[in-house]
Amino acid sequence: MRFFQPLLQYGFTRLLAETRTRTHLSPGIIAIEKPDEQKGYSAFFNTILPPSYSSLKEPFTLNWIIPENKKEKALTNSFNLPFQPFYSATVNSELSERDFETYTNNFLGLEDIEKQIYILPIDFIESSYLDLVLKSDVSFITLLGLNRIFNNQRKLAYTLVNLKEKIPPDIAIYLSGAVSPAYFSFLIYLGIDFFDNSLAYKISKNGYFAQEDKLYPINNHPRCFCRYCSEKDPDLLGHNELVMKNEIAKIRFALEEGTIRELVEKDIHRSVTFAATLKHLDKNYSDSFSQRTPVISSSKLKCIGEESLYNPSILEYRQRIRTRFKPQMYKKIILLLPCSAKKPYSFSRSHIQFRTAIKKAGKRVFSALSEIIITSPLSVVPRELENIYPPRFYDIPVAGIWSEEEISITSELLLDVLSQFPKESIIINHMHGHGYEQIIENIREKSSLEIIDTSAEKSPTSPESLKKLSEVLTSINPRLGAHEINSTPSRISNLKTVADYQFGNDTGDILFSNNIKIKGKYPKNLQVFRDKRLIATVSSKTGFLSILPDVAQEIVDKTLVKLEFGAEYVSGSNIYAPGCIHADENIHPDDEIFIINNNQVIATARALVSGLDMNKMTSGSLAEVKKKLKVKR
Amino acid sequence: MKINQVLSSIIREIRQKSLEEREHSRKIVSWVEDHRLITGAGKALVLILPTKGCSWALSESGGCSICGYIYDNPQQPNYDDMLTSFKEILNQKIEKKLKYSLKLFTSGSFLDLKEIPLEIQKEMMKETAKYEQIEEIVLESRPEYITESVLDNIAQNIEISKIEIAIGLESANDNILQNSINKGFFWNDFVKAVTKIQNKGARVKTYLLFKPPFISEFDSIGDILKSISKVIELGVKTISINAMSIHRGTLLSELFEKKMYRTPWLWSLLYLCREIKKEYPGIRLICDIVAGGSERGAHNCGECDKEIISILKEFTLNQDTKILDEAINCSCKTEWKSFLFNEKISNSELLDIY
Repeated sequence: MRFFQPLLQYGFTRLLAETRTRTHLSPGIIAIEKPDEQKGYSAFFNTILPPSYSSLKEPFTLNWIIPENKKEKALTNSFNLPFQPFYSATVNSELSERDFETYTNNFLGLEDIEKQIYILPIDFIESSYLDLVLKSDVSFITLLGLNRIFNNQRKLAYTLVNLKEKIPPDIAIYLSGAVSPAYFSFLIYLGIDFFDNSLAYKISKNGYFAQEDKLYPINNHPRCFCRYCSEKDPDLLGHNELVMKNEIAKIRFALEEGTIRELVEKDIHRSVTFAATLKHLDKNYSDSFSQRTPVISSSKLKCIGEESLYNPSILEYRQRIRTRFKPQMYKKIILLLPCSAKKPYSFSRSHIQFRTAIKKAGKRVFSALSEIIITSPLSVVPRELENIYPPRFYDIPVAGIWSEEEISITSELLLDVLSQFPKESIIINHMHGHGYEQIIENIREKSSLEIIDTSAEKSPTSPESLKKLSEVLTSINPRLGAHEINSTPSRISNLKTVADYQFGNDTGDILFSNNIKIKGKYPKNLQVFRDKRLIATVSSKTGFLSILPDVAQEIVDKTLVKLEFGAEYVSGSNIYAPGCIHADENIHPDDEIFIINNNQVIATARALVSGLDMNKMTSGSLAEVKKKLKVKR
Repeated sequence: MKINQVLSSIIREIRQKSLEEREHSRKIVSWVEDHRLITGAGKALVLILPTKGCSWALSESGGCSICGYIYDNPQQPNYDDMLTSFKEILNQKIEKKLKYSLKLFTSGSFLDLKEIPLEIQKEMMKETAKYEQIEEIVLESRPEYITESVLDNIAQNIEISKIEIAIGLESANDNILQNSINKGFFWNDFVKAVTKIQNKGARVKTYLLFKPPFISEFDSIGDILKSISKVIELGVKTISINAMSIHRGTLLSELFEKKMYRTPWLWSLLYLCREIKKEYPGIRLICDIVAGGSERGAHNCGECDKEIISILKEFTLNQDTKILDEAINCSCKTEWKSFLFNEKISNSELLDIY
């Protein structure tokens, strides 16, 4: 059994807790000797620096800081470091390879409970010996040799992605050495869990005065008014420790809040190397991150820099729009609209004005209309999805200036979405401005659909443009031919689109046909009744669905969020790793997933980690049970 | 098997590149320095004899990973010249009213017959015996040359109790001897040699090496403490802790140039002297620092180096721990502590990301 339980996952970043007491430990800092003040540390080494005759008799241990009243319940309170590799990996490959084999064999020969701290030089990440170690209960890997590749962004990105794809999310990675707190967030984003406080000790004339974003020379730095600096004889070590602890606290908060990526996008400006590394990660390894990033969320998503175009949440969103958004066949008029600052868009002044203008054209036109909002960095938002994450939660600095990259990404996705519509569909372009014009230009070049501009001369909310919109829509009415007014209320078709987005294609039609009634009003959760029976709720917080196990059964063959369970019924409130036979690789952390046995949905649950990682874990909880199937006995 | 073949072949390769450049002949180098004798303060007369050098360093094994003394030895020694000049130096430098310790070093083993033939050893001892002022004679040797016949030869020509044979044990840990230093002998070989020396009535001095390659400073402190205990148990009363310094033409030097090795901190030496003397007040502890204060020798931050080196020198001379206990403070002391930790955990691959 492993020591850590991941409670949250965002890409390679996890919130790790002690498995039995759920004491939050990572991301965190380890003190290199027993600290006077334990607050703010996750653990400390019991090292006596330097060793003495009496300390030589004591084992070298890493002690976890767990509250007194929970210590007994915890799996263990400390890890041992019984031995280490002898030769550094850089000495000579023949020497170090043999040594690594010997070290690993000795490690594997330990009692299970002793297999805690494993030391891994980056040179051996691809070694088959590592695979053997990962099958054991090892909980903590000390990664060595990163110093050699820190200036090589390609190698750094490749090495860490390679490692993190290999190891399960309940193994912590420790980077020992003096690391500036300015780089904590990025390294944590790359999957590092623990740093130590050795930087704080560097206070000689060549040492450092730490600030959260930068290290200053010890004798030339901005003033600081923390309690350590305010002492008559300033305690620089204490100051440095404080800055490191505060930085970790900030990152942990962002992780819990769901805004770690936003923090990283901001913090990489502290280092050109790491800024370049993030670009490599986004361009070359985005799948590794987006597969492990929550789809269901309700955190604000600030998209300030160009990096946010490649935010894993947004990449996943675009991917789902491309593969899962299927317009209803009776939608033959495609209205392209600009975005609004207020979310959901419908609540904004501009979109209320658009709605009024549209309604003037009559119900028949309205029921044939598909509204699509064009925006960066999401690119394309169908009206049906405006209430979910990320469309309802993102924010951008609006300057009306689009970059080449934004234009090309948006045009490509829009073209894909447009290709889903019937061939005779008509596009109404109610957008204005250079970026939008460029996108429409690209569409005109590559799509055969007819495009009518209604806001070419003036802004979309100008009386002239609004009037033109009404007129054009009205004039299209006769061209709809035998189009019947579809009576499906938009609230229900929204539900279907959300279901497809969340659970997989065609699931919306299966779940929300027949006699559907929706009850409730914001800010309450919506309740969905089918033939007078409650079958689902829509979270007003996230815009996503929860459905009952027996209802989930209807879409079991279509859905991509299944976990095959090894027993006929679920007991307790967690799904543990040993019970998991296989999890769909499409499962993202926080997803509403279906626990199945013999193709029967026996429960719904909330995923703690991605499906990829569920299959790698050998102990601990994978998901928290939400609803169990009621069995008549 | 006392050799790690892979390590040995790496050392041999480095050794062979550098050996060619040796001089053909050389004179005895000598000097006089202050020294603490068993009977009190006096002088030491040190002679470096130009033998052909350490047989272990010249052997197929490549010698020790850290030692470059061999490059100072000539390729063809002239024993007649050596003996003549030996006598001259003693005659010139030994003053009447002082007492002396005579240290005969070869950068190898004095007792190795390939370095100094039995006959020459005999002549030198005879000559030394003429000087009453010489109370102690220190000879260096690896254990394998310490044989009954060699010891008898000395005993026949000089009062044996004046003899102190210094052995570079370096560490009492066979793993370190084999996989770090390539020393070629183990703890047990040392024990046998010590027994032979003690049975003949001579004394033993032991050198311990502080911070050989691949051993973190943290672990090396532990190793010195443990080694001291084992050596003292054998009845050895003089122990010299030699702080690692970098010799060119060695494996250690290559590691140093690749920034994979830092010479020891002076803080560690200060600490070791204090800790050892506290545990074993009766022994004579020598802390020898070569190239102190420089990158290639034991050093701190540069601000406090001079002060600590002089404290260690003074301690070595009068064995008084009082001077060690005086509070010496420098802002690099915390840095030293974090270094001890980081180097141990990271197996010398120190991570610094500023």
